[in-house]
Amino acid sequence: MNNGQWWAVGLSDAIEPGHTLAVVCEGKPIVLFRDEAGQAFALEDRCSHRRVPLSPGPVKPGGLQCPYHGWTFDGNSGRCTDIPNLGREERVPSSYGVTPYPVAEANGFIHVWLGDWAPGEYLPAASYRKTGIEYTGSAVVSLARDHYLDVMLDGPECLLAFTGVQITDFFLGDPRQDGDHLVLDRGAIWKGKGVGPAFVRDYPLVVRTSVPLVGGVITVELLSVDEEPLITICIAATENRRGTTSLCWRGGLHGSTISDSTMRWRFSRVIGRKPFEVFSEIDGNAIAALQIAPSLERIWPSSTASGSYSSFSPEVC
Amino acid sequence: MDGTQPSEFSSKRDWVPSNFDLRDTWFPVAYCADVDTRPVRRIVHAQDVYLWRDFGRIVAAEFRPDRVSQSLKVATFFTGGTGYYPVVERYGYIWLWYGNPDARHEELIPNIPFLPLDGKGIPRYTQRSVRFDAASLLSVENLIDLTHADFLHANAIGDNKSESDHVEVASTSETVTRTRIVTRKSVAPVMRWIGGVRAKYQDLRAVLHVHLRNNVCISYPRFTPGYAIPNVQPFVPVGKHRSRVDQTNYTVHAPAPFRWLMPRISYVIQPQDNAVLRQQNARYFESAERRDFSSRFDRPGNRYRLLISRLAERQRQGDFSYQTDADLSADIASVLGMKD
Ligand code: FES
Repeated sequence: MNNGQWWAVGLSDAIEPGHTLAVVCEGKPIVLFRDEAGQAFALEDRCSHRRVPLSPGPVKPGGLQCPYHGWTFDGNSGRCTDIPNLGREERVPSSYGVTPYPVAEANGFIHVWLGDWAPGEYLPAASYRKTGIEYTGSAVVSLARDHYLDVMLDGPECLLAFTGVQITDFFLGDPRQDGDHLVLDRGAIWKGKGVGPAFVRDYPLVVRTSVPLVGGVITVELLSVDEEPLITICIAATENRRGTTSLCWRGGLHGSTISDSTMRWRFSRVIGRKPFEVFSEIDGNAIAALQIAPSLERIWPSSTASGSYSSFSPEVC
Repeated sequence: MDGTQPSEFSSKRDWVPSNFDLRDTWFPVAYCADVDTRPVRRIVHAQDVYLWRDFGRIVAAEFRPDRVSQSLKVATFFTGGTGYYPVVERYGYIWLWYGNPDARHEELIPNIPFLPLDGKGIPRYTQRSVRFDAASLLSVENLIDLTHADFLHANAIGDNKSESDHVEVASTSETVTRTRIVTRKSVAPVMRWIGGVRAKYQDLRAVLHVHLRNNVCISYPRFTPGYAIPNVQPFVPVGKHRSRVDQTNYTVHAPAPFRWLMPRISYVIQPQDNAVLRQQNARYFESAERRDFSSRFDRPGNRYRLLISRLAERQRQGDFSYQTDADLSADIASVLGMKD
């Protein structure tokens, strides 16, 4: 176990009071649930009695009840609080528990703390701000998390789309390090307007991807040429099983108006069309064909990133 | 409470249900009625078994009939290099000897007192094949365990409220017998509406007799007022992760239409059990560092775990014999409570 970090593992609105949600984070099965008062809890999704998942079980006043034999586990401590049919004088040993995980909710994301140390203060989705109508979703994609983060730098158009916008593969400079994120801008154009991406003198739009060096919250923004935010998407990515990645996201339109947009963009806004899509199905051919470029900075952060990495030196014969 | 180290555990090792491949036993691999001249394939502990009839006589081989002669070079110890397993027909099943062919004895076939020995007259409606996506030992444990019914099968079986509910467990080196005595339980809906039991309450005495080597589970639940629903559930291990069960729910003495419908309850119960067992199975293949916690309600199951481990340990030491406390062919009618 590492020293620990918060992971955004689910959307707050995905769990009603009295319900559960099974997630996988860093390969660990975790059950999230809310009590009737709305408080969220996270437990290892494995009963300590006979190992079945707790997530299909009902939420009871004493915690989450296992669907197999009805042992109940407290959401805070993970302790088994009830074994059905025990006599009044019988006590459940205090060691009969499951692993609890600290939970924190912020900006519509449920975070769990995985690690040995006491939970830190900083929550990955802390910087996300809801703007206007929100669009949310979740998916498990057939791409490992590391690759997902890499592709977000090398070719975000393989992973998401902005309605009426074409993301180009011309990135503007190299990734720069901002705290523990790598940030990269790339040009984008309006679909159906102008001569095409290769001949654009100045890109009318910028797509800014901010990819974490640790943890899993990605921010993707569509900006005007004046760097006014038009759309912001916050995507939480955690490692699921067998090389897959769990995603959950929220995002929305900012109020900014943009003078040189297309009719299509303006019409889409009027009819309330979804302004972006995060792909649940990923095109393997496109991913395989993608050249590795800015993502090298994730593996070998170099002087081009504004951090202080200098350990990589080429071998000299 | 049995504590983190259940009192009936002698080993510090975790119990990994797939690690037990017990030998020198008879497996009921198929219903006699399922095998004719055309070969059918069955699998026992990942080992192929082809069954067919030759002039009415049952034949069991490691290879398809057309390949037996050219495959003899790779014939295993289990057939003594002949390619053919010892087989016997009894109680409507084909019993296959899994082990050293020289050690086989027909007296080691479990006694099933409520079924005709020659299998004659067993109606087909009593026979249902079901499959479980888990190590066979987990399924047996699930059958021994009574406490899950209230949670997993509550909708199918109804409430389990009763005046008293008492469980006993007895064992030999080869068997575990669990007896449950329930007084004044509410009559199960199926028995009330289809079985014609008009009373509100009934008593239940349910005996489950489990053979450790071959997972043959012989059960005699008797409802008063009502009737008995004797049944056999042989969990034949197909491999480490799957088992096949050719059940016989011998409801011939119950009134119609209950007698025909009751065997079909496995279509409701089996998927519910299977949903849990599938997930459970995978977790018993993970690191064995964390052992299961148990309550006193797990005593029969833990006894089963302990006895299986002991038997496996003996077999690891090369001892495949049957001890004197185990007489598998002895009439178990009184053990099952058929004669009380
Ligand atoms: S497996 Fe959870 S209570 Fe038994």
